[in-house]
Amino acid sequence: MKGRVLDSSEVEPERTTNFGHVFTARPGAVLEPAHAEDVAGAIRFARNEGIPVSVRGAAHSQSQIAISNGGLLIDMRSMGRIGPVARGASSVEVEGGAVWRDVVRATLQSGLAPPVLTNNLSVTVGGTLSTAGVGVASHRYGTQGDQVEELTVVLGTGEIRTCGPERDPDLFWAVIAGLGQVGVIASARLKLRSVRPMTRTYYLLYDDAHRFMEDTKTAMDSERWDHLESWASPSPQGTKPVSGRRQVFARWFFPFHPTVEFDEGSPPDDRALLDGLHPYDHLYTDDLPTLDFFERLEPVFDLWKRGGTWGHVHPWMEVVLPWERTPDVLEAVLPDLPPAILVGGHVLLWPAKGSTSRSKLFRRPEGEDLMGFGILPAIPAPFWDEARPMIENLSRLVVAMGGNRYLSGYVDFDEEMWRAHYGDAWDFFEAAKRRFDPDGILNPGFVPLRAPARKG
Amino acid sequence: MAYRFGTAEYAKALCDEINRSSEYRNAASKWGVGFNGNLLFAFEADAALPKALYLLLRLKEGHCDGADFVPGPSHPDTGFTLRAPFQLWRDVLERRTLAATAILTGKMKIEGDKVTLLKHAGSSRSLIHCTASVPTEFPG
Repeated sequence: MKGRVLDSSEVEPERTTNFGHVFTARPGAVLEPAHAEDVAGAIRFARNEGIPVSVRGAAHSQSQIAISNGGLLIDMRSMGRIGPVARGASSVEVEGGAVWRDVVRATLQSGLAPPVLTNNLSVTVGGTLSTAGVGVASHRYGTQGDQVEELTVVLGTGEIRTCGPERDPDLFWAVIAGLGQVGVIASARLKLRSVRPMTRTYYLLYDDAHRFMEDTKTAMDSERWDHLESWASPSPQGTKPVSGRRQVFARWFFPFHPTVEFDEGSPPDDRALLDGLHPYDHLYTDDLPTLDFFERLEPVFDLWKRGGTWGHVHPWMEVVLPWERTPDVLEAVLPDLPPAILVGGHVLLWPAKGSTSRSKLFRRPEGEDLMGFGILPAIPAPFWDEARPMIENLSRLVVAMGGNRYLSGYVDFDEEMWRAHYGDAWDFFEAAKRRFDPDGILNPGFVPLRAPARKG
Repeated sequence: MAYRFGTAEYAKALCDEINRSSEYRNAASKWGVGFNGNLLFAFEADAALPKALYLLLRLKEGHCDGADFVPGPSHPDTGFTLRAPFQLWRDVLERRTLAATAILTGKMKIEGDKVTLLKHAGSSRSLIHCTASVPTEFPG
């Protein structure tokens, strides 16, 4: 074992929770592996001893994942190596604990980048691939999991296996968006695409959800845009009674930020790009180096950190909605959503195309046009018990209206809801669990997959 | 003064409370527009309620046009039925359980277009608040 092992008494508070700050648990030991063989050896040992194993990257999760109650916690951030990137390369090999920001900075030096990047680049490759990984280019390229050529995975048996969409696809598609249930991502070969050095973003604003939806669809279908980012943004108006208690209410607006990449000296044709869009207002047009665009939310996250809200409870509720149901959901949810819970958070909307993803376990509604919707609050810990029923009902409401939760957030499903979430993929997922993690030691406490009972 | 649950006086007091509520008037301003917004509350018999009761609320655009206990569960004027054992209703009406939780966990059954009801979540919530605001003498 070349990595470092810490016993329970040496574990820092940071590694007893995750970004959600909803759950805490103290692991029995922490492993900072040096390479895949360390992970394999630790899993074999844990399997023999009947010790549950949880895996952690940047721990941006908000449910009972990336933490361990008395078991072994493998902190993959010690495996963050990024392979060489030649100019014109079509892929790069990175370790599971590599941080996306480092991957982007390495690849951009050769004018390349992974096709899909998450808004938060401080998370790890293994972490987002285990969830799916969506971003502002997902309308073109699907999830990050769809842009992987090959994975090296340590199974729940301790075996190290290489797989890809065509090579051992059952394993590959059980790992992508598989929440670490069948294996640990030791490394990934990520596809790359050519990137132009500059971006231009148009800050468009809508005062009407239907018009906003029409224009986001027009933008998606036009295939003119490299990145599509949108939000629901509250303008507080005063207070009104909600169940008899006065709370701040808002008029909601819909910022829409379509972006194109371009070469220095060849700026895009604004008029042609914006043709067919009908915003309430066009507030600003921003030119940024592409790296700065990829890192555009860093100043926001930095503000949240300095303001103290980064340490609040984050019961994020993200869902993929059927396109035609989205206005109904917005009408149901936004009028009574207190803007105060978005201090240190925001409401995201991301238009997407269903056919861009082949992932089995990234669940989304049927239909080609989809809308991602995320309510990402930051709630001071003393108010969490009060807010919890509202957040849990929001989740139930969006599911009842045809949505599929995106599982990086706070999820409180019972077994029936888990089965309903995975639908016809549940049997595939459970079979993969039985095959690749036969003793059910990997990442317990979240998805209630059944592994065969341990012998002896 | 507390109204005895299940009586015509209770039904009238509830309708009056709805029409006094600016919260309901605003939250339900689109309720019943283009669809039948009349709600039938079905209080199913249980240990505390020996015989089921059915309360029909005639609701449109933030206003209550009448409330009556009706003989059975299938009144022709009904747009939506909310059905639950009486004890659960009582928990909702006395604010021990959120109506949204009861509906979304399936403990309270809905008959009618569920999506329409969910879309107007604020209308349902403020209606339940009105109901909870009527001083009530419950059986059991």
